[in-house]
Amino acid sequence: MEDDPVDVLIIGAGASGAAVAWSLAETRMRIVCFEQGDWMNPSEYPSNQSNWESQSYGPYAINPNTRGRDTDYPINNEDSAVDVVNFNGVGGGTIMYAAHFPRLHPSDFRVKSLDGVADDWPISYDDLEPYFVQNDRMMGVSGLAGDPMYPPKQPPLPPIPLGLVGETVARGYDKLGWHWWPSDSAILSRPYEGRDECKNLSPCMTGCAQGAKASTDITYWPEAIRAGVELRTRHRVREITVNDDGMADGVIYYDEEGTERFQKAEVVILASNGVGTPRILLNSKSSQFPDGLANSSGLVGKNLMFHPIGFVQGVFEERLDSHKGPAGCCILSKEFYETDESRGFVRGYNMQITRGSGPLTTAAAGYRAGLIPWGRGHHEAFRKRFDHVAGIGVLCEDLPEEHNCVTLDPELVDSDGIPAPKISYTLSENSIRMLNHGLDRAEEVMEAAGAVEITRSGQLRESGWHLLGTARMGDDPETSVVNSWGRSHDVKNLFIVDGSVFVTSGGVNPTSTIQAIALHVADTMKKNLANLFD
Amino acid sequence: MTDDLITTDHPLNADQQAVLTALLDTLIPPSDDGLMPGAGSLDLVRHLREGGDNNEEMLVGLVDQFDAAFSTFDADARESAVQAFSTSQPELFEWLLMNTYMMYYKTDQVLEGIGMSAGPPFPRGNTIIDGDISSLDRVVERGKSYRPA
Repeated sequence: MEDDPVDVLIIGAGASGAAVAWSLAETRMRIVCFEQGDWMNPSEYPSNQSNWESQSYGPYAINPNTRGRDTDYPINNEDSAVDVVNFNGVGGGTIMYAAHFPRLHPSDFRVKSLDGVADDWPISYDDLEPYFVQNDRMMGVSGLAGDPMYPPKQPPLPPIPLGLVGETVARGYDKLGWHWWPSDSAILSRPYEGRDECKNLSPCMTGCAQGAKASTDITYWPEAIRAGVELRTRHRVREITVNDDGMADGVIYYDEEGTERFQKAEVVILASNGVGTPRILLNSKSSQFPDGLANSSGLVGKNLMFHPIGFVQGVFEERLDSHKGPAGCCILSKEFYETDESRGFVRGYNMQITRGSGPLTTAAAGYRAGLIPWGRGHHEAFRKRFDHVAGIGVLCEDLPEEHNCVTLDPELVDSDGIPAPKISYTLSENSIRMLNHGLDRAEEVMEAAGAVEITRSGQLRESGWHLLGTARMGDDPETSVVNSWGRSHDVKNLFIVDGSVFVTSGGVNPTSTIQAIALHVADTMKKNLANLFD
Repeated sequence: MTDDLITTDHPLNADQQAVLTALLDTLIPPSDDGLMPGAGSLDLVRHLREGGDNNEEMLVGLVDQFDAAFSTFDADARESAVQAFSTSQPELFEWLLMNTYMMYYKTDQVLEGIGMSAGPPFPRGNTIIDGDISSLDRVVERGKSYRPA
């Protein structure tokens, strides 16, 4: 079956798909977005219910293989040190992210020039700066101006509360003389654009019931739809098709009933994240593109970057109200963000201070770590930790390596029979050294802050939130998949706007930068509409 | 009238229920200060049904692996028996323990006992302090610290 043709077809309604749709809407072209998941209903989010925490182990698990919704696709992580975590639905990963919203630094775009590793990006921080500003305004970002670790920037809203957790850990940084700063957070500290300020519910990562956290289903999408963009849910794309001229001419997809259909389009934009996008490209094989679409460089799926992540937790004698407030947004430290080769590695890491868990996770994780037993010692051990902890996440820059990759699993398929992705990933020696350095420093911070007990967790397995690098941008078609404004070198009417295009990962949560790139691509497309395919 | 004549959809008979209660109280006993209930005072079967867990047969099989007199054992003997079970059947034990925790830590009396408010987080919300940021003056005094690119 064939649908009416559209001018622009966007695949994926998450962070980047929403941003590019909203920006392109002013062109008045016929723009349609296909999303394989559903619209979310905030009144159904777990924090409306007493079993809110246990739902994070089932229908709201971060791992799609655990969650197992019929809108998810399976992912083979057997050859990976990290499991991919994601969400499929309108809003994509922003439904379940922590909303920690730092930007990449200027140096992140020039790692080859500065440190002799990986590659420089074909764009700079300055190129993206106006789009960071635009995106901060659209999402509603809270933060504090004046951080000397960044070029000047002014978040539209004041920072979210530090709480006792932030105040306590900041004392540790102060004693050591190290940098800290209130985090930029895509969470409202004040009422904004019809959304209420954060009520400190805490379980941000199972969806925000009150809408204070900026997920794109409540930020970009309502405006994009009002401007004429059409969003179709339960539309799962199998492959992008090409015409005799080697141009993309549409997609084959499955509708809600599982019926195979064809959608013709003049322009196709991939916004399906760093795993979903290479999956679609690799599934789009034809006689003209036998190795997958846009893959003359052989780099589609290669150079997968995650951000190695480890945690240090400090237990404090005083109560910190740890379970209250946005779990992943508080303060951060960039003390070790830039390269100092005397540390034994290149590049650096961000230290993200996290609040504590709810009671169920405290008990369950405490049991697994051997810290909170079942039986007669349970209550005493539980009381010592619950609401008395602070965490530091060490989030390391992950440098690109071709053997870290997304391929198609030869056997695993989703519910529509589409081949599923297989992840191959190992941590480099540089990453391991960096992570260990960061965990050592985080322990020092906790000690300086007065923690009476400190524990550390090395590389976490279920931590593949940041899916980057698998269709990198660059000026040279032999060493990159898309150009500096997201257009495929091989297929001139195919664009990519998600984290796949990252050349390097930086050492921060990437959503802010992913969305700025999407806005940059859209703006460049608008400026070049007359000769978009030249 | 005997228990045998009472119609019920509860998967456990009275003896099995006594074992389950003792088992749950062994995993999470009442606190000495009386603030925290034992897990045995809560309804695990109801919890499983509310969660759509259809493993009641597994629960019956699990309970039947314990001595029928388990509920009369002293605390040390109960803990030894559960410890042995956790070693011999780790997956089944993990299922029981996690469901016990899920049931226990959503109960209003428990939440209030650990200093939380009863009920779900929304729409109640929480209040936290803004926090002191005056020491950021020290950070600002370091001056521009990002690396030029």
